[in-house]
Amino acid sequence: MKKRNVESVDAHADSRDEDFESLFREYWAYVYRIVRRLVVDPTEAEDLTLETFFRLYQRQPIYEDGFQLGGWLYRVATNLGLRSIRSFKRREGYELKAGRFALDEAPETRPVEIQAANEEQETARRVLAAMNERQAQLLVLRYSGMSYKEIAETLGLSPTSIGPLLVRAEREFEERYRALAQEES
Amino acid sequence: MNRHLTEGELRASLDGELDKALSGHLHACAACQKQLNEIEKAHLRTAKRLSFLSGETGKVPSTQSAWYRFTQDYMNQKETSMLKKWFSFPVVRYGAVAVLALALLLAFPSTRALAGEFLNLFRVQQVTVLSIDPNNLQSLTGNEALGKQLSELISSSTVVTDEPGDPVEAATGEEASGLAGFSVRLPEGQTASGIYVTESAAFTMTVDREKAQALIDGAGRTDLVLPETIDGAEISVGIPATVSASFGDCPTPDLEGGEDPFDMGEKYPDCIVLTQMTSPLVDVPENVDMAQLAQIALEFSGMSTEEAASFASNVDWATTLVVPIPRDVTTHSEVSVDGVTGTLIQRTVEHSPEYLLMWVKDGILYAIADTGSDTAPAFTLAESLP
Repeated sequence: MKKRNVESVDAHADSRDEDFESLFREYWAYVYRIVRRLVVDPTEAEDLTLETFFRLYQRQPIYEDGFQLGGWLYRVATNLGLRSIRSFKRREGYELKAGRFALDEAPETRPVEIQAANEEQETARRVLAAMNERQAQLLVLRYSGMSYKEIAETLGLSPTSIGPLLVRAEREFEERYRALAQEES
Repeated sequence: MNRHLTEGELRASLDGELDKALSGHLHACAACQKQLNEIEKAHLRTAKRLSFLSGETGKVPSTQSAWYRFTQDYMNQKETSMLKKWFSFPVVRYGAVAVLALALLLAFPSTRALAGEFLNLFRVQQVTVLSIDPNNLQSLTGNEALGKQLSELISSSTVVTDEPGDPVEAATGEEASGLAGFSVRLPEGQTASGIYVTESAAFTMTVDREKAQALIDGAGRTDLVLPETIDGAEISVGIPATVSASFGDCPTPDLEGGEDPFDMGEKYPDCIVLTQMTSPLVDVPENVDMAQLAQIALEFSGMSTEEAASFASNVDWATTLVVPIPRDVTTHSEVSVDGVTGTLIQRTVEHSPEYLLMWVKDGILYAIADTGSDTAPAFTLAESLP
Protein backbone atom coordinates (compact mmCIF):
# COMPACT_ATOMS: atom_id res chain seq x y z
CA MET A 1 0.00 0.00 0.00
CA LYS A 2 1.50 3.33 -1.01
CA LYS A 3 -0.21 6.01 1.06
CA ARG A 4 0.93 9.42 -0.06
CA ASN A 5 0.43 12.70 1.61
CA VAL A 6 -1.43 14.84 -0.89
CA GLU A 7 -0.19 18.14 0.56
CA SER A 8 3.42 17.15 0.36
CA VAL A 9 2.88 16.07 -3.23
CA ASP A 10 1.57 19.56 -4.05
CA ALA A 11 4.47 21.24 -2.26
CA HIS A 12 6.97 19.31 -4.31
CA ALA A 13 5.09 19.59 -7.58
CA ASP A 14 7.04 22.63 -8.85
CA SER A 15 10.48 21.15 -8.26
CA ARG A 16 9.28 17.89 -9.74
CA ASP A 17 8.20 19.71 -12.90
CA GLU A 18 11.62 21.38 -13.15
CA ASP A 19 13.37 18.04 -12.85
CA PHE A 20 11.06 16.63 -15.44
CA GLU A 21 11.78 19.47 -17.86
CA SER A 22 15.52 18.83 -17.79
CA LEU A 23 14.92 15.14 -18.32
CA PHE A 24 12.55 15.91 -21.21
CA ARG A 25 15.14 18.11 -22.90
CA GLU A 26 17.87 15.52 -22.44
CA TYR A 27 15.91 12.63 -23.91
CA TRP A 28 13.63 14.33 -26.45
CA ALA A 29 15.74 13.61 -29.56
CA TYR A 30 16.57 10.10 -28.34
CA VAL A 31 12.91 9.11 -27.99
CA TYR A 32 11.81 10.89 -31.17
CA ARG A 33 14.33 8.91 -33.23
CA ILE A 34 13.12 5.61 -31.77
CA VAL A 35 9.53 6.40 -32.72
CA ARG A 36 10.34 7.95 -36.07
CA ARG A 37 12.06 4.80 -37.31
CA LEU A 38 8.80 2.92 -36.81
CA VAL A 39 6.32 5.60 -37.75
CA VAL A 40 6.57 7.25 -41.14
CA ASP A 41 4.48 10.33 -40.44
CA PRO A 42 6.66 12.94 -38.64
CA THR A 43 3.62 14.55 -37.00
CA GLU A 44 2.44 11.21 -35.67
CA ALA A 45 5.98 10.47 -34.47
CA GLU A 46 6.08 13.77 -32.60
CA ASP A 47 2.71 13.08 -30.96
CA LEU A 48 3.79 9.61 -29.89
CA THR A 49 7.04 10.98 -28.47
CA LEU A 50 5.04 13.45 -26.39
CA GLU A 51 2.77 10.61 -25.29
CA THR A 52 5.83 8.60 -24.21
CA PHE A 53 6.99 11.48 -22.02
CA PHE A 54 3.51 11.91 -20.64
CA ARG A 55 3.51 8.30 -19.49
CA LEU A 56 6.81 8.95 -17.80
CA TYR A 57 5.34 12.07 -16.21
CA GLN A 58 2.45 10.02 -14.87
CA ARG A 59 4.82 7.50 -13.40
CA GLN A 60 5.25 8.33 -9.72
CA PRO A 61 7.93 8.36 -8.54
CA ILE A 62 9.87 8.61 -11.79
CA TYR A 63 13.03 7.30 -10.22
CA GLU A 64 13.24 4.34 -7.93
CA ASP A 65 15.95 1.81 -7.21
CA GLY A 66 16.92 -0.14 -10.28
CA PHE A 67 14.80 1.92 -12.68
CA GLN A 68 16.39 1.97 -16.14
CA LEU A 69 15.12 5.21 -17.68
CA GLY A 70 16.64 4.68 -21.14
CA GLY A 71 15.28 1.16 -21.39
CA TRP A 72 11.86 2.20 -20.13
CA LEU A 73 11.62 5.00 -22.68
CA TYR A 74 12.73 2.63 -25.42
CA ARG A 75 10.11 0.06 -24.49
CA VAL A 76 7.25 2.51 -24.21
CA ALA A 77 8.18 4.39 -27.38
CA THR A 78 8.45 1.14 -29.33
CA ASN A 79 5.10 -0.10 -28.03
CA LEU A 80 3.38 3.14 -28.96
CA GLY A 81 5.01 3.07 -32.40
CA LEU A 82 3.87 -0.50 -33.06
CA ARG A 83 0.38 0.30 -31.84
CA SER A 84 0.25 3.29 -34.14
CA ILE A 85 1.13 1.09 -37.11
CA ARG A 86 -1.72 -1.23 -36.20
CA SER A 87 -4.24 1.57 -35.91
CA PHE A 88 -3.05 3.18 -39.14
CA LYS A 89 -3.54 -0.17 -40.80
CA ARG A 90 -7.10 -0.19 -39.55
CA ARG A 91 -7.68 3.27 -40.91
CA GLU A 92 -6.37 2.06 -44.29
CA GLY A 93 -4.24 4.80 -45.65
CA TYR A 94 -0.97 3.96 -44.10
CA GLU A 95 0.69 2.85 -47.33
CA LEU A 96 -0.46 6.00 -49.10
CA LYS A 97 0.92 8.17 -46.34
CA ALA A 98 4.14 6.19 -46.14
CA GLY A 99 4.77 6.69 -49.86
CA ARG A 100 4.04 10.38 -49.68
CA PHE A 101 6.41 11.02 -46.78
CA ALA A 102 9.22 9.00 -48.37
CA LEU A 103 8.91 10.99 -51.58
CA ASP A 104 8.73 14.27 -49.69
CA GLU A 105 12.01 13.46 -48.04
CA ALA A 106 13.91 12.41 -51.17
CA PRO A 107 12.09 14.02 -54.07
CA GLU A 108 15.18 14.39 -56.23
CA THR A 109 16.02 10.70 -56.55
CA ARG A 110 14.36 7.83 -58.39
CA PRO A 111 10.76 7.70 -57.21
CA VAL A 112 10.06 4.17 -58.56
CA GLU A 113 12.89 2.57 -56.59
CA ILE A 114 12.02 4.59 -53.55
CA GLN A 115 8.43 3.46 -53.83
CA ALA A 116 9.48 -0.22 -54.06
CA ALA A 117 11.89 0.02 -51.12
CA ASN A 118 9.29 1.89 -49.22
CA GLU A 119 6.67 -0.80 -49.78
CA GLU A 120 9.09 -3.40 -48.44
CA GLN A 121 9.67 -1.29 -45.36
CA GLU A 122 5.96 -0.90 -44.82
CA THR A 123 5.45 -4.64 -45.08
CA ALA A 124 8.22 -5.11 -42.50
CA ARG A 125 6.63 -2.52 -40.21
CA ARG A 126 3.26 -4.18 -40.42
CA VAL A 127 4.78 -7.58 -39.71
CA LEU A 128 6.46 -6.19 -36.60
CA ALA A 129 3.19 -4.66 -35.47
CA ALA A 130 1.35 -7.95 -35.91
CA MET A 131 3.90 -10.01 -34.01
CA ASN A 132 3.94 -10.97 -30.36
CA GLU A 133 4.93 -7.79 -28.51
CA ARG A 134 8.09 -9.17 -26.91
CA GLN A 135 9.40 -10.68 -30.12
CA ALA A 136 8.77 -7.44 -32.01
CA GLN A 137 10.56 -5.43 -29.33
CA LEU A 138 13.48 -7.80 -29.39
CA LEU A 139 13.90 -7.32 -33.15
CA VAL A 140 13.50 -3.55 -32.92
CA LEU A 141 16.07 -3.30 -30.14
CA ARG A 142 18.61 -5.57 -31.82
CA TYR A 143 18.29 -4.09 -35.30
CA SER A 144 18.56 -0.59 -34.00
CA GLY A 145 21.98 -1.54 -32.65
CA MET A 146 21.60 -2.50 -29.00
CA SER A 147 24.00 -5.03 -27.47
CA TYR A 148 22.66 -8.22 -25.89
CA LYS A 149 23.40 -6.80 -22.46
CA GLU A 150 21.40 -3.65 -23.20
CA ILE A 151 18.51 -5.66 -24.66
CA ALA A 152 18.52 -7.95 -21.64
CA GLU A 153 18.32 -4.97 -19.28
CA THR A 154 15.60 -3.27 -21.29
CA LEU A 155 13.38 -6.32 -21.57
CA GLY A 156 14.23 -7.91 -18.22
CA LEU A 157 15.79 -11.01 -19.76
CA SER A 158 19.04 -12.85 -19.20
CA PRO A 159 21.77 -11.99 -21.77
CA THR A 160 22.26 -15.66 -22.63
CA SER A 161 18.60 -16.00 -23.63
CA ILE A 162 18.87 -13.29 -26.31
CA GLY A 163 20.51 -15.51 -28.95
CA PRO A 164 17.86 -18.26 -28.91
CA LEU A 165 15.03 -15.71 -28.68
CA LEU A 166 16.43 -13.82 -31.67
CA VAL A 167 16.55 -16.99 -33.77
CA ARG A 168 12.88 -17.65 -32.99
CA ALA A 169 11.83 -14.04 -33.53
CA GLU A 170 13.65 -13.81 -36.85
CA ARG A 171 12.03 -17.03 -38.03
CA GLU A 172 8.60 -15.80 -37.03
CA PHE A 173 9.25 -12.45 -38.71
CA GLU A 174 10.36 -14.12 -41.94
CA GLU A 175 7.35 -16.44 -42.08
CA ARG A 176 4.94 -13.59 -41.50
CA TYR A 177 6.77 -11.34 -43.94
CA ARG A 178 6.51 -13.87 -46.74
CA ALA A 179 2.86 -14.53 -46.04
CA LEU A 180 2.01 -10.83 -46.01
CA ALA A 181 4.09 -10.06 -49.10
CA GLN A 182 2.34 -12.87 -50.96
CA GLU A 183 -1.05 -11.66 -49.80
CA GLU A 184 -0.26 -8.14 -50.98
CA SER A 185 1.03 -9.23 -54.36
CA MET B 1 33.92 -28.69 -24.93
CA ASN B 2 32.50 -31.63 -26.83
CA ARG B 3 28.96 -30.64 -27.65
CA HIS B 4 27.94 -28.69 -30.73
CA LEU B 5 26.77 -25.13 -30.33
CA THR B 6 23.05 -24.44 -30.07
CA GLU B 7 21.22 -22.27 -32.60
CA GLY B 8 21.09 -19.47 -30.07
CA GLU B 9 24.83 -19.63 -29.47
CA LEU B 10 25.50 -19.64 -33.20
CA ARG B 11 23.20 -16.66 -33.64
CA ALA B 12 25.04 -14.85 -30.82
CA SER B 13 28.36 -15.48 -32.57
CA LEU B 14 27.11 -13.48 -35.57
CA ASP B 15 26.68 -10.48 -33.31
CA GLY B 16 30.05 -11.00 -31.62
CA GLU B 17 28.22 -12.02 -28.45
CA LEU B 18 29.37 -15.61 -28.14
CA ASP B 19 30.97 -16.70 -24.89
CA LYS B 20 34.73 -16.92 -25.52
CA ALA B 21 34.85 -20.41 -24.06
CA LEU B 22 32.71 -21.61 -26.97
CA SER B 23 34.60 -19.88 -29.77
CA GLY B 24 37.29 -22.55 -29.95
CA HIS B 25 34.80 -25.29 -30.73
CA LEU B 26 33.03 -23.18 -33.33
CA HIS B 27 36.22 -22.54 -35.28
CA ALA B 28 37.20 -26.18 -35.24
CA CYS B 29 33.79 -27.79 -35.93
CA ALA B 30 32.65 -28.23 -39.52
CA ALA B 31 29.09 -29.18 -38.52
CA CYS B 32 28.70 -26.00 -36.45
CA GLN B 33 30.17 -23.91 -39.27
CA LYS B 34 27.66 -25.36 -41.70
CA GLN B 35 24.74 -24.58 -39.44
CA LEU B 36 26.17 -21.14 -38.78
CA ASN B 37 26.08 -20.43 -42.51
CA GLU B 38 22.38 -21.27 -42.64
CA ILE B 39 21.60 -19.09 -39.65
CA GLU B 40 23.66 -16.27 -41.12
CA LYS B 41 21.72 -16.39 -44.39
CA ALA B 42 18.43 -16.10 -42.53
CA HIS B 43 19.81 -13.35 -40.33
CA LEU B 44 21.06 -11.31 -43.30
CA ARG B 45 17.66 -11.55 -44.96
CA THR B 46 15.96 -10.19 -41.84
CA ALA B 47 18.68 -7.58 -41.38
CA LYS B 48 18.04 -6.26 -44.87
CA ARG B 49 14.31 -6.04 -44.32
CA LEU B 50 14.78 -4.27 -40.99
CA SER B 51 17.64 -1.99 -42.04
CA PHE B 52 15.35 1.03 -41.62
CA LEU B 53 15.52 0.50 -37.86
CA SER B 54 19.07 1.80 -37.80
CA GLY B 55 18.67 4.39 -40.56
CA GLU B 56 18.50 8.16 -40.50
CA THR B 57 15.36 9.70 -39.07
CA GLY B 58 15.46 13.14 -40.63
CA LYS B 59 15.13 16.35 -38.72
CA VAL B 60 14.17 16.12 -35.05
CA PRO B 61 11.53 18.71 -34.02
CA SER B 62 12.96 21.41 -31.79
CA THR B 63 13.10 20.52 -28.11
CA GLN B 64 11.92 24.02 -27.22
CA SER B 65 8.70 23.80 -29.21
CA ALA B 66 8.14 20.21 -28.09
CA TRP B 67 8.42 21.23 -24.44
CA TYR B 68 5.99 24.09 -25.05
CA ARG B 69 3.48 21.65 -26.59
CA PHE B 70 4.01 19.25 -23.73
CA THR B 71 3.25 21.85 -21.10
CA GLN B 72 0.21 23.16 -22.99
CA ASP B 73 -1.35 19.95 -24.24
CA TYR B 74 -0.32 17.36 -21.70
CA MET B 75 0.66 18.73 -18.30
CA ASN B 76 -2.51 20.80 -18.03
CA GLN B 77 -4.64 17.70 -18.25
CA LYS B 78 -2.70 15.77 -15.65
CA GLU B 79 -5.53 15.61 -13.14
CA THR B 80 -7.93 14.12 -15.62
CA SER B 81 -5.33 11.70 -16.82
CA MET B 82 -4.59 10.60 -13.31
CA LEU B 83 -8.24 9.60 -13.11
CA LYS B 84 -7.84 7.76 -16.35
CA LYS B 85 -4.89 5.89 -14.93
CA TRP B 86 -6.91 4.65 -11.98
CA PHE B 87 -9.17 2.89 -14.36
CA SER B 88 -6.59 1.68 -16.81
CA PHE B 89 -5.87 -1.48 -14.89
CA PRO B 90 -4.83 -4.44 -17.03
CA VAL B 91 -8.12 -6.20 -16.62
CA VAL B 92 -9.94 -3.32 -18.24
CA ARG B 93 -7.65 -3.42 -21.21
CA TYR B 94 -8.30 -7.13 -21.44
CA GLY B 95 -11.95 -6.41 -21.90
CA ALA B 96 -12.82 -7.48 -18.39
CA VAL B 97 -15.27 -5.38 -16.52
CA ALA B 98 -13.75 -6.46 -13.27
CA VAL B 99 -12.77 -3.01 -12.26
CA LEU B 100 -16.42 -2.83 -11.94
CA ALA B 101 -19.16 -0.34 -12.15
CA LEU B 102 -16.81 2.51 -11.49
CA ALA B 103 -14.82 1.88 -14.62
CA LEU B 104 -17.84 1.27 -16.74
CA LEU B 105 -19.94 4.02 -15.33
CA LEU B 106 -17.11 6.36 -16.11
CA ALA B 107 -17.08 5.15 -19.68
CA PHE B 108 -20.35 6.91 -20.22
CA PRO B 109 -20.21 10.69 -19.89
CA SER B 110 -23.83 10.70 -18.85
CA THR B 111 -23.17 8.77 -15.70
CA ARG B 112 -19.62 9.82 -14.88
CA ALA B 113 -20.52 12.74 -12.68
CA LEU B 114 -22.80 10.60 -10.64
CA ALA B 115 -20.76 7.45 -10.53
CA GLY B 116 -19.91 7.86 -6.89
CA GLU B 117 -23.43 8.66 -5.85
CA PHE B 118 -24.76 5.41 -7.19
CA LEU B 119 -23.76 3.61 -4.08
CA ASN B 120 -23.98 3.93 -0.35
CA LEU B 121 -21.43 1.92 1.55
CA PHE B 122 -21.17 -0.40 -1.34
CA ARG B 123 -20.05 -3.98 -1.22
CA VAL B 124 -20.77 -5.99 -4.28
CA GLN B 125 -22.81 -9.12 -3.67
CA GLN B 126 -24.47 -9.41 -7.02
CA VAL B 127 -24.20 -8.23 -10.56
CA THR B 128 -26.93 -6.83 -12.73
CA VAL B 129 -26.76 -5.59 -16.27
CA LEU B 130 -28.21 -2.31 -17.43
CA SER B 131 -28.83 -2.37 -21.15
CA ILE B 132 -28.41 1.09 -22.61
CA ASP B 133 -29.60 2.31 -25.97
CA PRO B 134 -26.51 3.96 -27.46
CA ASN B 135 -28.68 6.21 -29.60
CA ASN B 136 -29.80 7.96 -26.44
CA LEU B 137 -26.21 8.64 -25.50
CA GLN B 138 -25.11 10.12 -28.77
CA SER B 139 -26.15 13.64 -27.92
CA LEU B 140 -24.08 13.40 -24.74
CA THR B 141 -21.00 11.58 -25.98
CA GLY B 142 -20.67 13.96 -28.93
CA ASN B 143 -20.86 16.99 -26.65
CA GLU B 144 -17.27 18.13 -26.16
CA ALA B 145 -18.11 21.07 -23.92
CA LEU B 146 -20.01 18.75 -21.60
CA GLY B 147 -17.07 16.32 -21.49
CA LYS B 148 -14.70 19.13 -20.58
CA GLN B 149 -17.05 20.46 -17.89
CA LEU B 150 -17.32 16.95 -16.50
CA SER B 151 -13.56 16.45 -16.43
CA GLU B 152 -13.12 19.75 -14.60
CA LEU B 153 -15.83 18.89 -12.12
CA ILE B 154 -14.24 15.53 -11.35
CA SER B 155 -10.66 16.79 -11.14
CA SER B 156 -11.51 19.82 -8.99
CA SER B 157 -13.42 17.75 -6.49
CA THR B 158 -11.15 14.72 -6.23
CA VAL B 159 -8.26 14.01 -3.90
CA VAL B 160 -6.10 10.93 -4.32
CA THR B 161 -5.53 9.17 -1.04
CA ASP B 162 -3.83 6.05 -2.35
CA GLU B 163 -2.20 6.15 -5.74
CA PRO B 164 -2.46 3.06 -7.89
CA GLY B 165 0.73 1.26 -8.81
CA ASP B 166 1.76 -0.64 -11.90
CA PRO B 167 1.06 -4.39 -11.90
CA VAL B 168 3.54 -6.61 -10.06
CA GLU B 169 4.19 -10.14 -11.22
CA ALA B 170 3.70 -12.94 -8.70
CA ALA B 171 5.36 -16.30 -9.17
CA THR B 172 2.64 -18.33 -7.45
CA GLY B 173 -0.91 -18.12 -6.22
CA GLU B 174 0.38 -17.95 -2.64
CA GLU B 175 2.57 -14.98 -3.46
CA ALA B 176 -0.37 -13.26 -5.20
CA SER B 177 -2.55 -13.92 -2.15
CA GLY B 178 0.08 -12.32 0.06
CA LEU B 179 0.33 -9.25 -2.15
CA ALA B 180 -3.41 -8.85 -2.67
CA GLY B 181 -4.47 -9.58 0.90
CA PHE B 182 -7.07 -12.24 0.11
CA SER B 183 -6.99 -15.91 -0.80
CA VAL B 184 -6.51 -16.14 -4.55
CA ARG B 185 -8.09 -19.11 -6.33
CA LEU B 186 -6.34 -20.54 -9.36
CA PRO B 187 -7.61 -23.47 -11.46
CA GLU B 188 -6.24 -26.89 -10.68
CA GLY B 189 -4.35 -28.68 -13.42
CA GLN B 190 -3.60 -25.52 -15.39
CA THR B 191 -0.50 -23.38 -15.19
CA ALA B 192 -0.95 -19.64 -15.50
CA SER B 193 1.32 -17.98 -18.05
CA GLY B 194 1.39 -14.95 -15.79
CA ILE B 195 -0.06 -13.80 -12.46
CA TYR B 196 -0.20 -10.06 -11.88
CA VAL B 197 -1.27 -8.10 -8.86
CA THR B 198 -2.33 -4.47 -9.13
CA GLU B 199 -2.25 -2.75 -5.78
CA SER B 200 -5.15 -0.87 -4.29
CA ALA B 201 -6.09 2.70 -5.07
CA ALA B 202 -8.39 5.17 -3.36
CA PHE B 203 -9.76 8.63 -3.80
CA THR B 204 -12.30 10.96 -2.29
CA MET B 205 -14.75 13.17 -4.15
CA THR B 206 -16.62 16.07 -2.63
CA VAL B 207 -19.85 16.86 -4.45
CA ASP B 208 -20.40 20.44 -5.58
CA ARG B 209 -24.15 20.36 -6.19
CA GLU B 210 -24.23 23.73 -7.94
CA LYS B 211 -21.64 22.70 -10.51
CA ALA B 212 -23.17 19.26 -11.02
CA GLN B 213 -26.61 20.81 -11.53
CA ALA B 214 -25.13 23.36 -13.97
CA LEU B 215 -23.72 20.47 -15.92
CA ILE B 216 -27.09 18.74 -16.12
CA ASP B 217 -28.78 22.02 -17.06
CA GLY B 218 -26.11 22.65 -19.68
CA ALA B 219 -26.96 19.33 -21.29
CA GLY B 220 -30.54 20.58 -21.71
CA ARG B 221 -32.01 18.50 -18.89
CA THR B 222 -33.36 21.25 -16.64
CA ASP B 223 -36.17 18.85 -15.73
CA LEU B 224 -33.73 16.81 -13.66
CA VAL B 225 -33.04 18.40 -10.27
CA LEU B 226 -30.39 17.13 -7.89
CA PRO B 227 -31.43 17.02 -4.22
CA GLU B 228 -29.96 19.70 -1.94
CA THR B 229 -28.74 17.01 0.45
CA ILE B 230 -25.91 15.94 -1.80
CA ASP B 231 -24.12 19.28 -1.63
CA GLY B 232 -20.79 18.80 0.09
CA ALA B 233 -21.31 15.06 0.38
CA GLU B 234 -17.99 13.30 0.63
CA ILE B 235 -17.73 10.11 -1.34
CA SER B 236 -14.81 7.81 -0.65
CA VAL B 237 -13.94 5.20 -3.21
CA GLY B 238 -11.53 2.38 -2.48
CA ILE B 239 -10.52 0.05 -5.27
CA PRO B 240 -8.91 -3.06 -3.79
CA ALA B 241 -5.95 -5.00 -5.10
CA THR B 242 -6.76 -6.92 -8.24
CA VAL B 243 -5.23 -10.23 -9.29
CA SER B 244 -5.19 -11.23 -12.95
CA ALA B 245 -4.02 -14.67 -14.01
CA SER B 246 -3.56 -15.23 -17.72
CA PHE B 247 -3.62 -18.59 -19.47
CA GLY B 248 -2.24 -19.31 -22.91
CA ASP B 249 -0.19 -16.88 -24.96
CA CYS B 250 -1.01 -13.49 -23.48
CA PRO B 251 0.60 -10.06 -23.53
CA THR B 252 2.35 -8.67 -20.48
CA PRO B 253 -0.07 -6.46 -18.59
CA ASP B 254 1.86 -3.27 -18.05
CA LEU B 255 1.06 0.37 -18.39
CA GLU B 256 3.87 1.06 -20.78
CA GLY B 257 2.12 1.37 -24.06
CA GLY B 258 0.50 -1.96 -23.50
CA GLU B 259 -1.68 -3.83 -25.87
CA ASP B 260 -4.43 -2.41 -27.94
CA PRO B 261 -7.51 -4.30 -26.74
CA PHE B 262 -8.96 -4.30 -30.24
CA ASP B 263 -6.09 -6.49 -31.41
CA MET B 264 -6.36 -9.00 -28.60
CA GLY B 265 -8.49 -11.54 -30.44
CA GLU B 266 -6.36 -11.47 -33.54
CA LYS B 267 -3.00 -11.51 -31.80
CA TYR B 268 -3.71 -13.70 -28.81
CA PRO B 269 -6.53 -16.00 -29.83
CA ASP B 270 -5.88 -18.51 -27.05
CA CYS B 271 -5.38 -15.98 -24.28
CA ILE B 272 -7.92 -16.11 -21.47
CA VAL B 273 -7.73 -14.00 -18.32
CA LEU B 274 -9.18 -14.71 -14.89
CA THR B 275 -9.46 -11.68 -12.65
CA GLN B 276 -10.45 -11.62 -9.01
CA MET B 277 -10.78 -8.94 -6.40
CA THR B 278 -12.59 -8.19 -3.21
CA SER B 279 -15.41 -5.70 -3.46
CA PRO B 280 -14.53 -2.08 -4.05
CA LEU B 281 -15.78 0.16 -1.28
CA VAL B 282 -17.78 3.28 -1.93
CA ASP B 283 -18.76 5.24 1.14
CA VAL B 284 -21.54 7.80 0.77
CA PRO B 285 -23.18 9.83 3.58
CA GLU B 286 -26.39 8.33 4.96
CA ASN B 287 -28.60 11.26 3.99
CA VAL B 288 -27.98 10.67 0.32
CA ASP B 289 -30.86 8.79 -1.30
CA MET B 290 -29.23 6.38 -3.70
CA ALA B 291 -32.33 5.26 -5.55
CA GLN B 292 -33.30 8.88 -6.20
CA LEU B 293 -29.87 9.72 -7.58
CA ALA B 294 -29.78 6.55 -9.62
CA GLN B 295 -33.06 7.48 -11.21
CA ILE B 296 -31.73 10.93 -12.15
CA ALA B 297 -28.59 9.37 -13.60
CA LEU B 298 -30.58 6.86 -15.61
CA GLU B 299 -32.88 9.53 -16.99
CA PHE B 300 -29.88 11.67 -17.82
CA SER B 301 -28.48 8.75 -19.81
CA GLY B 302 -31.59 8.73 -21.94
CA MET B 303 -34.02 6.39 -20.18
CA SER B 304 -37.66 7.35 -19.87
CA THR B 305 -38.87 8.43 -16.42
CA GLU B 306 -40.96 5.26 -16.01
CA GLU B 307 -38.19 2.92 -17.12
CA ALA B 308 -35.64 4.65 -14.86
CA ALA B 309 -37.97 4.57 -11.85
CA SER B 310 -38.65 0.89 -12.36
CA PHE B 311 -34.97 -0.03 -12.68
CA ALA B 312 -33.84 2.19 -9.80
CA SER B 313 -36.44 0.84 -7.38
CA ASN B 314 -35.70 -2.80 -8.20
CA VAL B 315 -32.00 -2.64 -7.50
CA ASP B 316 -30.38 -2.79 -4.08
CA TRP B 317 -27.89 -0.02 -4.67
CA ALA B 318 -25.77 -0.95 -1.67
CA THR B 319 -24.91 -4.44 -2.88
CA THR B 320 -25.37 -4.53 -6.62
CA LEU B 321 -22.77 -3.90 -9.23
CA VAL B 322 -24.53 -2.31 -12.18
CA VAL B 323 -22.79 -2.95 -15.45
CA PRO B 324 -24.04 -0.70 -18.26
CA ILE B 325 -23.71 -2.28 -21.68
CA PRO B 326 -24.59 -0.92 -25.12
CA ARG B 327 -27.78 -2.61 -26.25
CA ASP B 328 -26.99 -2.91 -29.95
CA VAL B 329 -23.77 -4.94 -29.86
CA THR B 330 -23.97 -6.70 -26.51
CA THR B 331 -26.13 -9.44 -25.08
CA HIS B 332 -26.28 -10.78 -21.55
CA SER B 333 -27.72 -13.76 -19.75
CA GLU B 334 -27.84 -15.35 -16.33
CA VAL B 335 -25.75 -18.50 -16.07
CA SER B 336 -24.80 -21.06 -13.47
CA VAL B 337 -21.11 -20.91 -12.60
CA ASP B 338 -18.92 -21.91 -9.66
CA GLY B 339 -22.01 -22.94 -7.69
CA VAL B 340 -23.70 -19.54 -7.95
CA THR B 341 -25.62 -17.51 -10.51
CA GLY B 342 -23.35 -15.42 -12.68
CA THR B 343 -23.69 -13.09 -15.62
CA LEU B 344 -22.42 -13.75 -19.11
CA ILE B 345 -21.94 -10.66 -21.26
CA GLN B 346 -21.18 -11.20 -24.91
CA ARG B 347 -20.07 -8.62 -27.40
CA THR B 348 -21.47 -9.78 -30.68
CA VAL B 349 -19.48 -7.65 -33.11
CA GLU B 350 -18.69 -9.83 -36.12
CA HIS B 351 -14.99 -9.17 -36.54
CA SER B 352 -14.01 -9.24 -32.88
CA PRO B 353 -16.51 -11.08 -30.69
CA GLU B 354 -15.57 -11.31 -27.02
CA TYR B 355 -17.25 -12.21 -23.80
CA LEU B 356 -17.03 -11.75 -20.09
CA LEU B 357 -18.22 -14.15 -17.43
CA MET B 358 -18.71 -12.56 -13.99
CA TRP B 359 -19.83 -13.86 -10.67
CA VAL B 360 -19.54 -13.12 -6.97
CA LYS B 361 -18.72 -15.82 -4.47
CA ASP B 362 -17.82 -15.50 -0.78
CA GLY B 363 -17.27 -11.76 -1.13
CA ILE B 364 -14.88 -12.05 -4.07
CA LEU B 365 -15.76 -10.85 -7.54
CA TYR B 366 -14.52 -13.05 -10.37
CA ALA B 367 -14.37 -12.22 -14.06
CA ILE B 368 -13.12 -14.29 -16.94
CA ALA B 369 -12.44 -12.43 -20.17
CA ASP B 370 -11.88 -14.17 -23.47
CA THR B 371 -12.17 -13.42 -27.15
CA GLY B 372 -14.23 -15.34 -29.67
CA SER B 373 -17.83 -16.49 -29.51
CA ASP B 374 -17.29 -19.90 -27.89
CA THR B 375 -17.77 -19.40 -24.17
CA ALA B 376 -16.89 -22.98 -23.13
CA PRO B 377 -13.26 -22.17 -22.18
CA ALA B 378 -14.44 -19.75 -19.48
CA PHE B 379 -16.79 -22.29 -17.94
CA THR B 380 -14.12 -24.99 -18.02
CA LEU B 381 -11.73 -22.61 -16.27
CA ALA B 382 -14.33 -21.60 -13.69
CA GLU B 383 -15.26 -25.20 -12.92
CA SER B 384 -11.62 -26.12 -12.25
CA LEU B 385 -11.29 -23.56 -9.47
CA PRO B 386 -10.67 -25.28 -6.12
